[in-house]
Amino acid sequence: MLKKLLFWFQWNTLVKPWQNIDWTLLILVIGMTVWGSLMIRSVELNQGWAEWWQHLITGLIGLVLAMVIARNRYDRLLQIYWWIYGITNVGLLTVMFLGTEALGAQRWISIAGFNLQPSEFAKIGLIVTLAGLLHEKPANTIPNMFRTLGIMLVPWSLVFLEPNLGTSLVLVAITLGMLYWANTNPSWILVLLSPVISAILYNVSLPLWILWAIIIVIAAWISLPWRIISTLCTFSINFVSGQLSHFMWGVLKDYQKDRIVLFLDPDRDPLGGGYHLIQSRIAIGAGQLWGQGLNHGTQTQLNFIPEQHTDFIFAAIGEELGFAGGFFMLISFWLICLRLVFIAQGAKDNFGSLLAIGLLSMIVFQTLVNVGMTIGVAPITGIPLPWLSYGRSALLAIYIGVGLVESVTNYSQPLRFTSNKS
Amino acid sequence: MSSKIVRPTPSVVKVIGKIHQRLRGHRPRMGQLSRFRFIPIKPIQPTVQRLIWVWGFLVVSSLGLLVRLYHLQISLGAVWQTELPTGQVPITETNLPRRPIVDRQGNVIAVDQTLYNLYAHPRQFRLPKSELIQRLSPLLRVPAQQLELRLNQGETGIKVSDSLSENVADQILNLQMDGLELTRRQQRLYPQQELFGEAVGYVNLDRKGQGGVELSQEELIMLPTHPIGGKPMPSSLSPMANGFQSPDLRLQLTLDGRLQKASRLVLQQQVRKFGAKRGTVIVMDVRDGAVRALVTEPSFNPNLYYQSTLSLLKNWAITDLFEPGSTFKPLNVAIALETNSVQPDTVLYDQGKLTIGKWPILNNDFAAVGPRGNQTITQILIHSSNVGMVNMMAAVPRREFYHWLQTMGIGKPTGIDLPSESIGQLKSEAQFVNVGVESATAAFGQGLSMTPLQLAQLLAVIGNGGNLVVPHVVVGLVDVQGNIGWQPKYPTPRRIFSSRTTNTVLQMMTAVVNQGTGKASQIPGYSIAGKTGTAQKANPKGGYGNRTISSFGAILPANAPRFVVLTVIDEPMGDNAFGSTVSAPVVKAVMEVLIGLDGIPPQGLFTH
Repeated sequence: MLKKLLFWFQWNTLVKPWQNIDWTLLILVIGMTVWGSLMIRSVELNQGWAEWWQHLITGLIGLVLAMVIARNRYDRLLQIYWWIYGITNVGLLTVMFLGTEALGAQRWISIAGFNLQPSEFAKIGLIVTLAGLLHEKPANTIPNMFRTLGIMLVPWSLVFLEPNLGTSLVLVAITLGMLYWANTNPSWILVLLSPVISAILYNVSLPLWILWAIIIVIAAWISLPWRIISTLCTFSINFVSGQLSHFMWGVLKDYQKDRIVLFLDPDRDPLGGGYHLIQSRIAIGAGQLWGQGLNHGTQTQLNFIPEQHTDFIFAAIGEELGFAGGFFMLISFWLICLRLVFIAQGAKDNFGSLLAIGLLSMIVFQTLVNVGMTIGVAPITGIPLPWLSYGRSALLAIYIGVGLVESVTNYSQPLRFTSNKS
Repeated sequence: MSSKIVRPTPSVVKVIGKIHQRLRGHRPRMGQLSRFRFIPIKPIQPTVQRLIWVWGFLVVSSLGLLVRLYHLQISLGAVWQTELPTGQVPITETNLPRRPIVDRQGNVIAVDQTLYNLYAHPRQFRLPKSELIQRLSPLLRVPAQQLELRLNQGETGIKVSDSLSENVADQILNLQMDGLELTRRQQRLYPQQELFGEAVGYVNLDRKGQGGVELSQEELIMLPTHPIGGKPMPSSLSPMANGFQSPDLRLQLTLDGRLQKASRLVLQQQVRKFGAKRGTVIVMDVRDGAVRALVTEPSFNPNLYYQSTLSLLKNWAITDLFEPGSTFKPLNVAIALETNSVQPDTVLYDQGKLTIGKWPILNNDFAAVGPRGNQTITQILIHSSNVGMVNMMAAVPRREFYHWLQTMGIGKPTGIDLPSESIGQLKSEAQFVNVGVESATAAFGQGLSMTPLQLAQLLAVIGNGGNLVVPHVVVGLVDVQGNIGWQPKYPTPRRIFSSRTTNTVLQMMTAVVNQGTGKASQIPGYSIAGKTGTAQKANPKGGYGNRTISSFGAILPANAPRFVVLTVIDEPMGDNAFGSTVSAPVVKAVMEVLIGLDGIPPQGLFTH
C-alpha cells in the first residue's frame, strides 16, 4: 500500500514539471516530424541517401530541447531578451564573414562538422526579442511601431544581405503578425506595406494601382495623425515607389527575378527557371485523389524535382498521397495553428501571448508560401515547410519555438494548490 | 488598468501613450497604476474582432490552398497524368500508336510513321557551335549558314527539325553531343493520298481522329497503351489472349482501292464536265450492306487536311440530305404492290397534268408529249411519269403510305459505322395525312429527304429481296495473313418487302434501263435495273428553284443482284443535265469496272 503510494508519488513528480503543457500540440508536432522523415525517405529512396535518419534524430534532439525549455519559466527571458537579440545578430554577422557559400548565398557556418544556419535561429531570436519589446511597449502608437520595426531591421538586413530572400520575408511576416497582435492599427501596417505593393501594381496594371492608391489614401486619412500632411505623404511615397520600381527591380538577382515572374507563367522557360514549378505542378496534379502511393510517385522516384527533400517536399506528398494527403497535412497545420491561438489567448501576460503569435505567424507564412509555390500560386522562395522539409537548423529552431510556447502554456495555468499528503 | 493585450476581461482598459510601465510578468495592482497620469483611450481594436480576423485569415488561406489543390489534383488530375513522364517514358500524347488501316485487298490506307523532333539547347553545348554545326549540317541536309541562324535564336529549346527519320535520328544520337534533344513522335501517313479521304478521315496534331473511320473507329484503332509509369503487359499473356488487343492487327475496310480509284476518276470528270457543285458514288453489296466504294468529289488529302476547307472535310454522302426525286419511285411502287393497292398489271390513266389544291403537278415531258393516257406501272417508271405515280399512290391510304415510309427508315439513321450521319426528314404525320399535296409529292420522291447513302440502302432492299441491311465499311481487325481477329456484329437485316414485290419492281427497273431513261447505263450482255432522278432542289426560301440534283441508282446484275451503284451529282449545269445524262454514264463506267473486278459473268452465258 505504502509502496504503491510511493510509486505513484514518484511518477507524479516526474511528470509534474510538464503537467500543464499542451499535449495535443506536442503530439501533432512529433507526428509531423515523423511524417516528414517518411517523405524524405521516399524521395531519396533511389539515391541511396539516408537523410531521413538525420531528420528523425534532429527532431528527437529538438524534442528534448523543447521539453527542457518547457519546464523552465519562459518569463525569465524577459530579463535576457536583449542578449538573445545580440546573439542573433552576432550569428548573422558571423555567417557573413565566415560562412560557406551555397546556391549563390552565404548561409552556413560550420561548427565542429555541423552546418549551422543562423538565419533559421534568427527567426526565433526575433520572436523572443519582439515579444519582450512589445510586452513592455504595445505598438499601439506610431512611434512604438517604428521602434519595433527599427529593432527588427538589423537582423532583417543581415539576412537580406546574405542574400536570403525567403527568410527575410519570414522575418517580415513574423514582425507584422506580432505587431498586429500587439494592437497596432492594421491600417498602419497597410500604409507601411503600401509602397511595396505599389511598386508591383504600378508595373502590372495602372488601373489596379489607382485602386490601390485610393484604398491607401483612405486608410491613411482614417488612421494617421496630421491627416492632410500624412495622407499626402503616403500618396507621394506610393507614387514615387511605383516610379522607382524599375530601379528596385534591378536590385534583385537574376534568379530572384525569374522566380517572381516565372510562377505566373512557368512555361516561359520550361527547362530553366520554370522547370521546378512545372515538374512539381505535374507531380502534384498527377497525385489525384488518393495519390500514387508512398514510395510510388513517378516524379518523386525518378527525381524530376530538384531540392525535393527540402523546399519541395510537398510535391512528394501531393504526388504520392494525393489530395487526401495534402488535405490531411493542411488540417494538421491548421490544428497546430489552432493550439497556438488558444495558447496565445490563454497566456497570462503579453510576453507569452506574443511568443505564441510570433511562432504562429512564422508557421502560417512558411506553410502558405511553401505549399503555394509548389502548386504555382506563389513565387519560388527558399522557405521550408515546417517539420516536413529536411533542414536540421530549421527543425531545431522550430522545436525551440515549440518549447517556448509549451512553457507559456505550462506556466499560464492558475496555480493549483494540491494538498501534499506525503 | 494594465496594458494587457492578451487575455482581456471586459473591464480591461488599454493604456496608451508615453507611460512607461515596467511589467515583468506581474499583474499590476490597481494602486500602482493610479499613480500615473494616463489617458484612457478605447482599445484600438476589440480583441474579439482581432481574434475573428486571425481566424478568418487562417480559414480563408487554407481554403484557398485546398481549392487550388482540388483544381490541380481532382479537376485537372487526369491532364497531368498524361504529362507525367516527360523524357523518361516515351508515351505521350503525340505518339499514341494507332493501328494501320487497310482496304479490302490489304493495301495500306493509313499507317503510323515514327519521326523525330530535334531540339537544341545551346546553353548546354560543350563543343564550339561551329564544330557542332559542321557535324549536324550534312546529317540534317540543311546548309550550315541556315543552321547557324537557327541555333542563334536562343539559349534553349530551339526546334531544329520536326521530321527526322529514325535513321538520321540514330546518327545524331551517335554523335553523343550535349545540348541536343531528340523526341520521338508518331505521324499518321496516308500513302493513297486523297483516294480514301472521305471514308478514312484524318488525324489531327493531338493524334485524335477527326472524321471517317479514324474518328468513328478510334477505339479499335488506338493501340492499348500501358498505364503510364506502369509495367508492361505480363509476358505470360499471349498477344492474342486479349483478343483484338494485339498490336499486330490492322483495321480492314470493305472499300476496294481499285474501284474507289475508278469511281473517283469517272466522277471527277463528270463533275467537271457539267460544272457541278459536287458528286458522290456509292457502291454497296446488296446482300450485307458492305460498302465497296464511297467517293465524294471534290475531296481532300488527309496528309494535308489542314490545307482543305471545312466543306471538303465532311463526307456529304452521309452528312447532307437531299430530296431523291424520281430515283425514289421504285420504292413507292413497292409500297403500292406490297399493300395490294395495285397489281403488277394495273393500268392507270396519266393525264399528264393535275392540280392538287393550288399546286400544279406536271410530267417533266408534258410540254412535249402531253397526256400519255393509259399506262402500265412499268410504263410509268419508264417514262418517269409524275402524274402516273400520284395516281398510283392515291390508291394507298395516306396514313398507311406514311407508315411505310417510316418503316423503310426515313427519319432514322442507317447505322453506318462512319461519323456524323444525318437523319432524313419526313413531314409530320398530321401534315402528310391531311394536306393532299404532301402525299402527292412524296409519290414522286419530293418533299422528303435522306442522305445519298440511305437511298443506296433503300435501293439495296429492292436488290436483295426485301431486306433492310446496315451499310458498313469495317470488315474487322485482321492480321497480315488475313485472319480475322475481331469482327463487328450487325443486327440481322430487317425484312420490309416480300421478295415477290421486289422481284416485280426489279423487272420494272430493268425495263427502265432497257427502254427508258436509264438507257445510258446499258452494258451489253448484262441485265441491269435502274432508275434515274432529276430532283428540283428546294431553295432556302422553301420553294423550288432551277437548280437540280441528278441521281441514278442501278442494281446489277438484275437477274441475281449483287451490287447497288448510286451516283448523285449536285447542281449540274447546262440544258441537258438530267439523271439520264449526268449520272447514268458514271454508273455505267463504275459498273464496268465492278464487273471486271468481281468477275461478274454476263447473263447470256448462263441463262441462254
